[in-house]
Amino acid sequence: MAKKSSLNQQRTRVGIIFATPALLLVSAFLGIPIIQAGYFSFTEWNGIDAKWLGISAYVQEFKSPIFWRVLENNGLLLLGVPVAILFPMGIAFLLNEKVAGWKIFRSIYFLPTAISWVVIGMVSMRFFAQEGLLNELLKAFGLGFIKTDLLSSEKGALFAVAITFIWSMVGTNSIIFLTGMATLDQSLNEAARMDGAGNFRIFRSITLPQLNRFIQFSFIITVISAFTALFSLIFVMTGGGPGFGTTTLEFFIFQSAFSRGNFGTGAMLGVILFFMMAILGIGQLLLMRKKDE
Amino acid sequence: MRSRKYSPKTVAVFTSMCVLAVVMLYPFAFMINTSFKSKAQYFGAPGHSTASWGKLFDTLPVWKQLLNSTLVCAGAISIILVVATMAGFAIAKMRSKATPIFFLGIVGAMLIPLQSIIIPAYINASKLNLLDGYSGAIFLYAALGSPFATFLMTSYFRGIPDDLVEAAIVDGLSYPKVFLKIALPLAVPAVITVIVLQFIQVWDDLLVGLLFIQDPAYRTITVGLGALSAGRVTDIPVLMAGSLISAIPAVVVYLIFQRQLVNGLTAGIGK
Repeated sequence: MAKKSSLNQQRTRVGIIFATPALLLVSAFLGIPIIQAGYFSFTEWNGIDAKWLGISAYVQEFKSPIFWRVLENNGLLLLGVPVAILFPMGIAFLLNEKVAGWKIFRSIYFLPTAISWVVIGMVSMRFFAQEGLLNELLKAFGLGFIKTDLLSSEKGALFAVAITFIWSMVGTNSIIFLTGMATLDQSLNEAARMDGAGNFRIFRSITLPQLNRFIQFSFIITVISAFTALFSLIFVMTGGGPGFGTTTLEFFIFQSAFSRGNFGTGAMLGVILFFMMAILGIGQLLLMRKKDE
Repeated sequence: MRSRKYSPKTVAVFTSMCVLAVVMLYPFAFMINTSFKSKAQYFGAPGHSTASWGKLFDTLPVWKQLLNSTLVCAGAISIILVVATMAGFAIAKMRSKATPIFFLGIVGAMLIPLQSIIIPAYINASKLNLLDGYSGAIFLYAALGSPFATFLMTSYFRGIPDDLVEAAIVDGLSYPKVFLKIALPLAVPAVITVIVLQFIQVWDDLLVGLLFIQDPAYRTITVGLGALSAGRVTDIPVLMAGSLISAIPAVVVYLIFQRQLVNGLTAGIGK
Protein backbone atom coordinates (compact mmCIF):
# COMPACT_ATOMS: atom_id res chain seq x y z
CA MET A 1 0.00 0.00 0.00
CA ALA A 2 2.86 2.35 0.83
CA LYS A 3 4.27 1.66 -2.60
CA LYS A 4 0.97 2.49 -4.23
CA SER A 5 0.62 5.84 -2.52
CA SER A 6 4.23 6.78 -3.32
CA LEU A 7 3.40 5.95 -6.93
CA ASN A 8 0.41 8.25 -6.73
CA GLN A 9 2.64 10.94 -5.33
CA GLN A 10 5.14 10.45 -8.11
CA ARG A 11 2.36 10.66 -10.67
CA THR A 12 0.99 13.91 -9.24
CA ARG A 13 4.46 15.44 -8.92
CA VAL A 14 5.60 14.52 -12.43
CA GLY A 15 2.21 15.56 -13.78
CA ILE A 16 2.63 19.01 -12.33
CA ILE A 17 6.15 19.29 -13.72
CA PHE A 18 4.93 18.19 -17.15
CA ALA A 19 2.11 20.71 -17.17
CA THR A 20 4.25 23.62 -16.02
CA PRO A 21 5.83 24.71 -19.33
CA ALA A 22 2.42 24.93 -21.00
CA LEU A 23 1.03 26.77 -18.01
CA LEU A 24 3.88 29.29 -18.00
CA LEU A 25 3.83 29.91 -21.75
CA VAL A 26 0.07 30.29 -22.03
CA SER A 27 -0.14 32.44 -18.88
CA ALA A 28 2.68 34.75 -19.97
CA PHE A 29 1.47 35.38 -23.50
CA LEU A 30 -2.30 34.87 -23.30
CA GLY A 31 -3.46 34.78 -19.67
CA ILE A 32 -1.70 37.84 -18.28
CA PRO A 33 -2.33 39.95 -21.42
CA ILE A 34 -6.07 39.25 -21.34
CA ILE A 35 -6.18 40.41 -17.70
CA GLN A 36 -4.11 43.45 -18.63
CA ALA A 37 -6.48 44.13 -21.52
CA GLY A 38 -9.34 44.06 -19.02
CA TYR A 39 -7.60 46.61 -16.80
CA PHE A 40 -6.39 48.92 -19.58
CA SER A 41 -9.81 48.87 -21.24
CA PHE A 42 -10.88 51.25 -18.45
CA THR A 43 -8.05 53.67 -19.13
CA GLU A 44 -6.74 56.15 -21.60
CA TRP A 45 -3.43 54.56 -22.53
CA ASN A 46 -0.72 55.47 -24.99
CA GLY A 47 1.37 52.38 -24.32
CA ILE A 48 3.40 54.03 -21.55
CA ASP A 49 1.15 56.07 -19.29
CA ALA A 50 -2.37 55.04 -18.46
CA LYS A 51 -5.03 57.35 -17.02
CA TRP A 52 -7.92 55.63 -15.22
CA LEU A 53 -11.29 56.52 -16.75
CA GLY A 54 -13.41 53.78 -15.24
CA ILE A 55 -16.70 52.80 -16.74
CA SER A 56 -16.93 56.09 -18.62
CA ALA A 57 -14.35 54.72 -21.07
CA TYR A 58 -16.94 52.19 -22.18
CA VAL A 59 -19.82 54.68 -22.06
CA GLN A 60 -17.91 57.03 -24.33
CA GLU A 61 -17.18 54.28 -26.83
CA PHE A 62 -20.79 53.12 -26.87
CA LYS A 63 -21.81 56.67 -27.77
CA SER A 64 -19.46 56.75 -30.72
CA PRO A 65 -21.22 56.25 -34.06
CA ILE A 66 -18.03 54.76 -35.54
CA PHE A 67 -18.14 51.93 -32.99
CA TRP A 68 -21.65 51.00 -34.12
CA ARG A 69 -20.67 51.39 -37.75
CA VAL A 70 -17.91 48.83 -37.14
CA LEU A 71 -20.25 46.43 -35.35
CA GLU A 72 -22.68 46.80 -38.22
CA ASN A 73 -19.94 45.53 -40.54
CA ASN A 74 -19.51 42.50 -38.29
CA GLY A 75 -23.26 41.98 -38.37
CA LEU A 76 -23.32 42.18 -42.15
CA LEU A 77 -20.48 39.65 -42.36
CA LEU A 78 -22.63 37.29 -40.26
CA LEU A 79 -25.15 37.32 -43.11
CA GLY A 80 -22.53 35.49 -45.15
CA VAL A 81 -22.25 32.69 -42.58
CA PRO A 82 -25.30 30.65 -43.71
CA VAL A 83 -23.99 30.76 -47.28
CA ALA A 84 -20.53 29.76 -46.09
CA ILE A 85 -22.15 26.71 -44.43
CA LEU A 86 -24.91 25.67 -46.85
CA PHE A 87 -22.89 26.00 -50.05
CA PRO A 88 -20.10 23.70 -48.79
CA MET A 89 -22.77 21.32 -47.47
CA GLY A 90 -24.06 21.04 -51.03
CA ILE A 91 -20.53 20.46 -52.27
CA ALA A 92 -20.04 17.72 -49.70
CA PHE A 93 -23.17 16.00 -51.00
CA LEU A 94 -21.73 16.18 -54.51
CA LEU A 95 -18.39 14.78 -53.36
CA ASN A 96 -20.19 12.08 -51.41
CA GLU A 97 -21.61 10.75 -54.69
CA LYS A 98 -18.03 9.53 -55.15
CA VAL A 99 -17.99 9.93 -58.92
CA ALA A 100 -14.72 9.40 -60.77
CA GLY A 101 -11.94 11.62 -59.47
CA TRP A 102 -13.79 12.79 -56.35
CA LYS A 103 -10.65 12.54 -54.24
CA ILE A 104 -8.81 14.90 -56.57
CA PHE A 105 -11.70 17.33 -56.44
CA ARG A 106 -11.66 17.14 -52.65
CA SER A 107 -7.97 18.04 -52.63
CA ILE A 108 -8.54 20.95 -55.00
CA TYR A 109 -11.38 22.40 -52.93
CA PHE A 110 -9.37 22.15 -49.75
CA LEU A 111 -6.20 23.60 -51.29
CA PRO A 112 -6.93 27.30 -50.51
CA THR A 113 -6.75 26.36 -46.81
CA ALA A 114 -2.98 26.23 -47.27
CA ILE A 115 -2.50 29.72 -48.67
CA SER A 116 -2.31 32.91 -46.66
CA TRP A 117 -4.94 35.64 -46.51
CA VAL A 118 -2.31 37.99 -47.85
CA VAL A 119 -2.13 36.03 -51.09
CA ILE A 120 -5.89 35.46 -51.25
CA GLY A 121 -6.48 39.16 -50.64
CA MET A 122 -4.13 40.23 -53.39
CA VAL A 123 -5.71 37.99 -56.00
CA SER A 124 -9.23 38.80 -54.86
CA MET A 125 -8.51 42.51 -55.15
CA ARG A 126 -7.63 42.09 -58.84
CA PHE A 127 -10.67 39.91 -59.37
CA PHE A 128 -13.06 42.61 -58.14
CA ALA A 129 -11.15 45.52 -59.69
CA GLN A 130 -12.63 47.52 -62.53
CA GLU A 131 -10.48 45.81 -65.15
CA GLY A 132 -10.69 42.48 -63.28
CA LEU A 133 -12.16 39.13 -64.17
CA LEU A 134 -15.55 39.83 -62.59
CA ASN A 135 -16.30 42.60 -65.07
CA GLU A 136 -14.95 40.55 -67.96
CA LEU A 137 -17.25 37.70 -66.97
CA LEU A 138 -20.21 40.04 -66.74
CA LYS A 139 -19.36 41.34 -70.20
CA ALA A 140 -19.01 37.82 -71.56
CA PHE A 141 -22.50 37.00 -70.31
CA GLY A 142 -23.88 40.10 -71.97
CA LEU A 143 -24.17 41.96 -68.69
CA GLY A 144 -21.42 44.44 -69.52
CA PHE A 145 -23.67 47.36 -68.59
CA ILE A 146 -23.38 46.34 -64.91
CA LYS A 147 -19.64 47.07 -64.89
CA THR A 148 -18.95 47.13 -61.20
CA ASP A 149 -16.24 48.67 -59.13
CA LEU A 150 -17.14 46.97 -55.89
CA LEU A 151 -14.04 47.97 -53.95
CA SER A 152 -14.71 51.68 -54.38
CA SER A 153 -18.02 51.71 -52.50
CA GLU A 154 -18.46 50.97 -48.80
CA LYS A 155 -21.12 48.29 -49.12
CA GLY A 156 -19.59 46.92 -52.31
CA ALA A 157 -16.19 46.46 -50.67
CA LEU A 158 -17.72 44.65 -47.72
CA PHE A 159 -19.62 42.45 -50.15
CA ALA A 160 -16.35 41.64 -51.95
CA VAL A 161 -14.68 40.78 -48.64
CA ALA A 162 -17.64 38.56 -47.72
CA ILE A 163 -17.52 36.72 -51.05
CA THR A 164 -13.79 36.14 -50.65
CA PHE A 165 -14.41 34.89 -47.12
CA ILE A 166 -17.11 32.47 -48.28
CA TRP A 167 -14.83 31.23 -51.05
CA SER A 168 -12.06 30.55 -48.56
CA MET A 169 -14.36 28.62 -46.21
CA VAL A 170 -15.44 26.21 -48.96
CA GLY A 171 -12.59 23.77 -48.31
CA THR A 172 -12.82 23.68 -44.54
CA ASN A 173 -16.60 23.38 -44.36
CA SER A 174 -16.94 20.80 -47.12
CA ILE A 175 -14.38 18.63 -45.38
CA ILE A 176 -16.30 18.92 -42.12
CA PHE A 177 -19.54 17.84 -43.80
CA LEU A 178 -17.85 15.11 -45.77
CA THR A 179 -16.53 13.73 -42.48
CA GLY A 180 -20.06 13.96 -41.14
CA MET A 181 -21.56 12.13 -44.10
CA ALA A 182 -19.17 9.25 -43.58
CA THR A 183 -20.85 8.70 -40.20
CA LEU A 184 -24.40 8.57 -41.60
CA ASP A 185 -26.32 5.41 -40.91
CA GLN A 186 -27.50 4.22 -44.34
CA SER A 187 -29.87 1.63 -42.90
CA LEU A 188 -32.04 4.44 -41.52
CA ASN A 189 -32.50 5.82 -45.03
CA GLU A 190 -33.54 2.42 -46.34
CA ALA A 191 -35.97 1.88 -43.49
CA ALA A 192 -37.53 5.29 -44.16
CA ARG A 193 -37.79 4.56 -47.85
CA MET A 194 -39.61 1.33 -47.05
CA ASP A 195 -42.05 3.40 -45.06
CA GLY A 196 -42.60 5.54 -48.14
CA ALA A 197 -40.58 8.62 -47.29
CA GLY A 198 -39.38 10.78 -50.22
CA ASN A 199 -35.91 12.16 -50.76
CA PHE A 200 -36.63 15.54 -49.21
CA ARG A 201 -38.31 14.00 -46.19
CA ILE A 202 -35.37 11.66 -45.67
CA PHE A 203 -32.95 14.58 -45.90
CA ARG A 204 -34.91 16.72 -43.45
CA SER A 205 -35.86 14.12 -40.87
CA ILE A 206 -32.97 11.67 -41.03
CA THR A 207 -29.87 13.15 -42.64
CA LEU A 208 -29.97 16.63 -41.10
CA PRO A 209 -30.43 15.51 -37.47
CA GLN A 210 -27.48 13.15 -37.85
CA LEU A 211 -25.37 16.00 -39.22
CA ASN A 212 -26.37 18.34 -36.40
CA ARG A 213 -23.05 18.10 -34.56
CA PHE A 214 -21.16 18.90 -37.75
CA ILE A 215 -23.40 21.83 -38.62
CA GLN A 216 -22.76 23.27 -35.16
CA PHE A 217 -19.03 22.80 -35.50
CA SER A 218 -18.91 24.40 -38.90
CA PHE A 219 -21.07 27.27 -37.62
CA ILE A 220 -18.63 27.94 -34.77
CA ILE A 221 -15.57 27.73 -37.01
CA THR A 222 -17.18 30.02 -39.58
CA VAL A 223 -18.26 32.69 -37.10
CA ILE A 224 -14.89 32.62 -35.35
CA SER A 225 -13.17 33.01 -38.71
CA ALA A 226 -15.47 35.84 -39.79
CA PHE A 227 -14.77 37.75 -36.58
CA THR A 228 -11.13 36.97 -35.87
CA ALA A 229 -9.38 35.64 -38.97
CA LEU A 230 -9.95 38.32 -41.57
CA PHE A 231 -7.43 40.91 -40.43
CA SER A 232 -4.85 40.12 -43.11
CA LEU A 233 -7.47 39.88 -45.83
CA ILE A 234 -8.86 43.31 -44.97
CA PHE A 235 -5.37 44.76 -44.48
CA VAL A 236 -4.34 43.74 -47.98
CA MET A 237 -7.63 44.05 -49.85
CA THR A 238 -9.19 47.27 -48.58
CA GLY A 239 -7.22 48.61 -45.63
CA GLY A 240 -10.55 48.83 -43.80
CA GLY A 241 -12.00 51.26 -46.33
CA PRO A 242 -13.38 52.93 -48.20
CA GLY A 243 -14.26 55.04 -45.17
CA PHE A 244 -15.14 52.51 -42.47
CA GLY A 245 -16.76 50.27 -45.09
CA THR A 246 -14.75 47.15 -44.29
CA THR A 247 -13.49 47.97 -40.81
CA THR A 248 -14.62 45.07 -38.67
CA LEU A 249 -14.07 44.91 -34.93
CA GLU A 250 -10.77 43.01 -35.20
CA PHE A 251 -9.44 45.50 -37.74
CA PHE A 252 -10.66 48.42 -35.65
CA ILE A 253 -8.61 47.10 -32.71
CA PHE A 254 -5.47 47.25 -34.81
CA GLN A 255 -6.32 50.69 -36.20
CA SER A 256 -7.17 52.19 -32.82
CA ALA A 257 -3.95 51.02 -31.24
CA PHE A 258 -1.35 51.00 -33.96
CA SER A 259 -2.54 53.73 -36.33
CA ARG A 260 -4.03 56.15 -33.82
CA GLY A 261 -2.11 55.29 -30.66
CA ASN A 262 -5.27 54.75 -28.58
CA PHE A 263 -4.06 51.60 -26.83
CA GLY A 264 -6.78 51.87 -24.18
CA THR A 265 -9.56 51.91 -26.76
CA GLY A 266 -7.87 49.05 -28.61
CA ALA A 267 -7.72 47.02 -25.40
CA MET A 268 -11.41 47.72 -24.74
CA LEU A 269 -12.44 46.64 -28.22
CA GLY A 270 -10.35 43.50 -27.70
CA VAL A 271 -12.24 42.78 -24.47
CA ILE A 272 -15.55 43.22 -26.29
CA LEU A 273 -14.42 40.82 -29.02
CA PHE A 274 -13.27 38.36 -26.37
CA PHE A 275 -16.67 38.37 -24.68
CA MET A 276 -18.44 37.87 -27.98
CA MET A 277 -16.30 34.82 -28.73
CA ALA A 278 -16.55 33.51 -25.17
CA ILE A 279 -20.36 33.69 -25.25
CA LEU A 280 -20.32 31.84 -28.55
CA GLY A 281 -17.95 29.17 -27.20
CA ILE A 282 -19.80 28.68 -23.92
CA GLY A 283 -23.13 28.57 -25.75
CA GLN A 284 -21.75 25.82 -27.93
CA LEU A 285 -20.47 23.86 -24.92
CA LEU A 286 -23.82 24.11 -23.14
CA LEU A 287 -25.64 22.99 -26.28
CA MET A 288 -23.37 19.94 -26.54
CA ARG A 289 -23.80 19.12 -22.85
CA LYS A 290 -27.56 19.22 -23.22
CA LYS A 291 -27.37 16.77 -26.11
CA ASP A 292 -25.20 14.38 -24.13
CA GLU A 293 -27.68 14.12 -21.27
CA MET B 1 -21.64 3.32 -76.47
CA ARG B 2 -19.34 4.30 -73.64
CA SER B 3 -21.60 7.02 -72.37
CA ARG B 4 -24.21 4.46 -71.46
CA LYS B 5 -22.29 3.72 -68.27
CA TYR B 6 -22.89 7.21 -66.93
CA SER B 7 -26.28 8.28 -65.67
CA PRO B 8 -27.36 11.90 -66.27
CA LYS B 9 -27.01 12.47 -62.56
CA THR B 10 -23.36 11.39 -62.57
CA VAL B 11 -22.66 13.66 -65.52
CA ALA B 12 -24.33 16.60 -63.77
CA VAL B 13 -22.40 15.99 -60.55
CA PHE B 14 -19.13 15.66 -62.42
CA THR B 15 -19.73 18.83 -64.42
CA SER B 16 -20.55 20.92 -61.35
CA MET B 17 -17.46 19.63 -59.60
CA CYS B 18 -15.34 20.63 -62.59
CA VAL B 19 -16.82 24.13 -62.60
CA LEU B 20 -16.16 24.44 -58.89
CA ALA B 21 -12.60 23.20 -59.36
CA VAL B 22 -12.01 26.03 -61.82
CA VAL B 23 -13.35 28.54 -59.29
CA MET B 24 -11.09 27.19 -56.54
CA LEU B 25 -8.01 26.98 -58.73
CA TYR B 26 -8.48 30.37 -60.37
CA PRO B 27 -6.18 32.27 -57.96
CA PHE B 28 -3.34 29.88 -58.68
CA ALA B 29 -3.83 30.18 -62.42
CA PHE B 30 -4.02 33.95 -62.10
CA MET B 31 -0.84 34.10 -60.02
CA ILE B 32 1.14 31.88 -62.37
CA ASN B 33 -0.07 33.59 -65.51
CA THR B 34 0.38 37.14 -64.20
CA SER B 35 3.78 36.53 -62.65
CA PHE B 36 5.15 35.60 -66.06
CA LYS B 37 4.20 38.95 -67.56
CA SER B 38 5.96 42.27 -67.53
CA LYS B 39 4.00 45.29 -66.36
CA ALA B 40 3.29 46.24 -69.97
CA GLN B 41 2.18 42.70 -70.79
CA TYR B 42 -0.15 42.75 -67.81
CA PHE B 43 -1.78 45.84 -69.22
CA GLY B 44 -2.42 44.28 -72.59
CA ALA B 45 0.85 43.82 -74.48
CA PRO B 46 1.09 40.28 -75.86
CA GLY B 47 3.42 37.52 -74.66
CA HIS B 48 5.06 36.39 -71.47
CA SER B 49 8.42 37.10 -69.84
CA THR B 50 10.37 36.52 -66.68
CA ALA B 51 11.00 40.24 -66.15
CA SER B 52 8.74 40.41 -63.10
CA TRP B 53 10.51 37.53 -61.41
CA GLY B 54 13.80 39.37 -61.83
CA LYS B 55 12.22 42.49 -60.39
CA LEU B 56 10.80 40.57 -57.44
CA PHE B 57 14.25 39.41 -56.39
CA ASP B 58 15.50 43.01 -56.69
CA THR B 59 12.64 44.46 -54.61
CA LEU B 60 12.32 41.80 -51.94
CA PRO B 61 15.09 39.83 -50.19
CA VAL B 62 13.17 36.66 -51.09
CA TRP B 63 15.73 34.06 -49.96
CA LYS B 64 16.38 35.83 -46.69
CA GLN B 65 12.67 36.11 -45.98
CA LEU B 66 12.04 32.47 -46.84
CA LEU B 67 14.80 31.60 -44.39
CA ASN B 68 13.26 33.90 -41.77
CA SER B 69 9.89 32.21 -42.23
CA THR B 70 11.52 28.81 -41.88
CA LEU B 71 13.35 29.78 -38.69
CA VAL B 72 10.29 31.34 -37.10
CA CYS B 73 8.21 28.26 -37.96
CA ALA B 74 10.88 25.90 -36.66
CA GLY B 75 11.27 27.84 -33.41
CA ALA B 76 7.56 28.12 -32.70
CA ILE B 77 6.79 24.53 -33.65
CA SER B 78 9.63 23.15 -31.49
CA ILE B 79 8.32 24.97 -28.44
CA ILE B 80 4.75 23.91 -29.18
CA LEU B 81 5.75 20.26 -29.52
CA VAL B 82 7.69 20.13 -26.26
CA VAL B 83 5.04 22.01 -24.31
CA ALA B 84 1.98 20.32 -25.82
CA THR B 85 3.16 16.71 -25.74
CA MET B 86 4.17 17.05 -22.08
CA ALA B 87 0.99 18.83 -21.05
CA GLY B 88 -1.17 16.46 -23.07
CA PHE B 89 0.45 13.46 -21.41
CA ALA B 90 0.02 15.04 -17.99
CA ILE B 91 -3.69 15.62 -18.60
CA ALA B 92 -4.32 12.19 -20.09
CA LYS B 93 -2.15 9.93 -17.99
CA MET B 94 -1.04 11.70 -14.80
CA ARG B 95 -4.37 12.84 -13.47
CA SER B 96 -4.65 14.58 -10.14
CA LYS B 97 -7.11 16.98 -8.52
CA ALA B 98 -5.67 19.89 -10.51
CA THR B 99 -6.10 18.20 -13.90
CA PRO B 100 -9.69 19.26 -14.68
CA ILE B 101 -8.94 22.91 -13.88
CA PHE B 102 -5.79 22.84 -15.97
CA PHE B 103 -7.64 21.25 -18.88
CA LEU B 104 -10.41 23.84 -18.61
CA GLY B 105 -7.76 26.59 -18.69
CA ILE B 106 -6.27 25.13 -21.86
CA VAL B 107 -9.67 24.91 -23.56
CA GLY B 108 -10.48 28.42 -22.35
CA ALA B 109 -7.23 29.74 -23.82
CA MET B 110 -8.34 28.39 -27.20
CA LEU B 111 -11.22 30.85 -27.09
CA ILE B 112 -9.04 33.95 -26.64
CA PRO B 113 -8.83 35.81 -29.94
CA LEU B 114 -5.39 37.05 -30.90
CA GLN B 115 -6.68 40.59 -31.30
CA SER B 116 -7.88 40.64 -27.70
CA ILE B 117 -4.42 40.13 -26.25
CA ILE B 118 -2.22 41.58 -28.92
CA ILE B 119 -1.98 45.11 -27.51
CA PRO B 120 -0.83 44.21 -23.97
CA ALA B 121 1.30 41.38 -25.38
CA TYR B 122 2.95 43.84 -27.73
CA ILE B 123 3.68 46.34 -24.96
CA ASN B 124 5.01 43.58 -22.68
CA ALA B 125 7.24 42.21 -25.42
CA SER B 126 8.61 45.63 -26.19
CA LYS B 127 9.43 46.19 -22.50
CA LEU B 128 11.24 42.84 -22.43
CA ASN B 129 13.14 43.69 -25.63
CA LEU B 130 11.58 40.75 -27.45
CA LEU B 131 10.77 42.72 -30.59
CA ASP B 132 14.31 43.04 -31.94
CA GLY B 133 14.85 39.60 -33.40
CA TYR B 134 12.58 36.64 -33.94
CA SER B 135 11.98 35.79 -30.29
CA GLY B 136 8.83 37.83 -29.60
CA ALA B 137 7.05 36.42 -32.64
CA ILE B 138 8.24 32.88 -31.90
CA PHE B 139 6.98 32.97 -28.31
CA LEU B 140 3.63 34.46 -29.25
CA TYR B 141 3.10 31.94 -32.05
CA ALA B 142 4.04 29.17 -29.63
CA ALA B 143 1.60 30.44 -27.01
CA LEU B 144 -1.17 30.78 -29.58
CA GLY B 145 -0.61 27.30 -30.98
CA SER B 146 -0.05 25.41 -27.73
CA PRO B 147 -3.62 25.23 -26.40
CA PHE B 148 -5.05 23.49 -29.46
CA ALA B 149 -1.93 21.33 -29.80
CA THR B 150 -2.30 20.30 -26.15
CA PHE B 151 -5.95 19.51 -26.75
CA LEU B 152 -5.03 17.34 -29.73
CA MET B 153 -2.25 15.54 -27.85
CA THR B 154 -4.53 14.97 -24.87
CA SER B 155 -7.17 13.25 -26.96
CA TYR B 156 -4.49 11.18 -28.63
CA PHE B 157 -2.84 10.09 -25.38
CA ARG B 158 -6.24 9.23 -23.96
CA GLY B 159 -6.44 6.59 -26.67
CA ILE B 160 -3.43 4.80 -25.17
CA PRO B 161 -4.73 2.28 -22.60
CA ASP B 162 -4.06 3.17 -18.95
CA ASP B 163 -3.06 -0.47 -18.37
CA LEU B 164 -0.13 -0.09 -20.72
CA VAL B 165 1.20 2.88 -18.77
CA GLU B 166 0.56 1.23 -15.39
CA ALA B 167 2.24 -2.01 -16.42
CA ALA B 168 5.35 -0.08 -17.43
CA ILE B 169 5.33 1.80 -14.13
CA VAL B 170 4.98 -1.44 -12.15
CA ASP B 171 7.93 -2.77 -14.16
CA GLY B 172 9.96 0.04 -12.68
CA LEU B 173 9.90 2.70 -15.40
CA SER B 174 9.40 6.27 -14.23
CA TYR B 175 6.69 8.48 -15.73
CA PRO B 176 9.16 10.57 -17.78
CA LYS B 177 10.58 7.30 -19.20
CA VAL B 178 7.10 6.02 -20.06
CA PHE B 179 6.42 9.32 -21.78
CA LEU B 180 9.62 9.25 -23.84
CA LYS B 181 9.87 5.53 -24.57
CA ILE B 182 6.24 4.44 -24.91
CA ALA B 183 3.80 7.30 -25.29
CA LEU B 184 5.71 9.61 -27.65
CA PRO B 185 6.58 6.94 -30.23
CA LEU B 186 2.91 5.93 -30.29
CA ALA B 187 1.86 9.55 -30.76
CA VAL B 188 3.85 10.25 -33.92
CA PRO B 189 0.72 10.69 -36.10
CA ALA B 190 -0.65 13.34 -33.73
CA VAL B 191 2.74 15.04 -33.59
CA ILE B 192 2.81 15.25 -37.39
CA THR B 193 -0.70 16.72 -37.38
CA VAL B 194 0.42 19.41 -34.95
CA ILE B 195 3.49 20.20 -37.05
CA VAL B 196 1.55 20.51 -40.29
CA LEU B 197 -1.26 22.56 -38.76
CA GLN B 198 1.12 24.96 -37.05
CA PHE B 199 3.44 25.24 -40.01
CA ILE B 200 0.63 26.49 -42.23
CA GLN B 201 -0.71 28.74 -39.48
CA VAL B 202 2.62 30.43 -38.75
CA TRP B 203 3.88 30.52 -42.32
CA ASP B 204 0.70 32.27 -43.48
CA ASP B 205 0.35 34.74 -40.61
CA LEU B 206 0.63 38.47 -41.11
CA LEU B 207 -0.51 40.24 -37.94
CA VAL B 208 1.94 38.83 -35.37
CA GLY B 209 4.87 39.08 -37.76
CA LEU B 210 3.95 42.62 -38.68
CA LEU B 211 3.99 43.81 -35.07
CA PHE B 212 6.41 41.51 -33.28
CA ILE B 213 9.26 41.58 -35.80
CA GLN B 214 10.35 45.18 -35.91
CA ASP B 215 13.61 44.83 -37.81
CA PRO B 216 12.82 44.41 -41.54
CA ALA B 217 15.88 42.14 -41.84
CA TYR B 218 14.02 39.51 -39.78
CA ARG B 219 10.72 39.73 -41.65
CA THR B 220 9.00 36.58 -42.82
CA ILE B 221 7.96 36.22 -46.46
CA THR B 222 4.25 36.71 -45.71
CA VAL B 223 4.95 39.90 -43.80
CA GLY B 224 7.34 41.11 -46.49
CA LEU B 225 4.66 40.56 -49.06
CA GLY B 226 1.96 42.20 -46.95
CA ALA B 227 4.16 45.25 -46.41
CA LEU B 228 4.90 45.37 -50.13
CA SER B 229 1.25 45.29 -51.10
CA ALA B 230 0.34 47.93 -48.55
CA GLY B 231 3.19 50.15 -49.75
CA ARG B 232 3.52 51.95 -53.03
CA VAL B 233 4.32 48.92 -55.13
CA THR B 234 1.57 48.71 -57.71
CA ASP B 235 3.47 46.37 -59.96
CA ILE B 236 0.94 43.57 -59.92
CA PRO B 237 3.02 40.93 -61.75
CA VAL B 238 5.78 41.40 -59.16
CA LEU B 239 3.28 41.02 -56.33
CA MET B 240 1.92 37.86 -57.97
CA ALA B 241 5.39 36.38 -58.33
CA GLY B 242 5.92 37.09 -54.63
CA SER B 243 2.55 35.60 -53.72
CA LEU B 244 3.33 32.48 -55.64
CA ILE B 245 6.72 31.97 -54.04
CA SER B 246 5.30 32.56 -50.56
CA ALA B 247 2.48 30.09 -51.20
CA ILE B 248 4.60 27.26 -52.60
CA PRO B 249 6.07 25.88 -49.33
CA ALA B 250 2.69 25.73 -47.61
CA VAL B 251 1.06 24.19 -50.67
CA VAL B 252 3.76 21.53 -50.88
CA VAL B 253 3.33 20.70 -47.20
CA TYR B 254 -0.42 20.56 -47.78
CA LEU B 255 -0.09 18.20 -50.73
CA ILE B 256 2.12 15.81 -48.78
CA PHE B 257 0.30 15.92 -45.44
CA GLN B 258 -3.28 16.51 -46.51
CA ARG B 259 -4.65 13.72 -44.35
CA GLN B 260 -2.96 14.98 -41.18
CA LEU B 261 -4.31 18.46 -41.84
CA VAL B 262 -7.83 17.12 -42.20
CA ASN B 263 -7.41 15.05 -39.03
CA GLY B 264 -6.33 18.13 -37.12
CA LEU B 265 -9.23 20.14 -38.42
CA THR B 266 -11.88 17.59 -37.57
CA ALA B 267 -10.35 16.71 -34.20
CA GLY B 268 -12.35 19.53 -32.64
CA ILE B 269 -15.70 17.96 -33.49
CA GLY B 270 -15.35 15.42 -30.71
CA LYS B 271 -17.19 12.18 -30.34
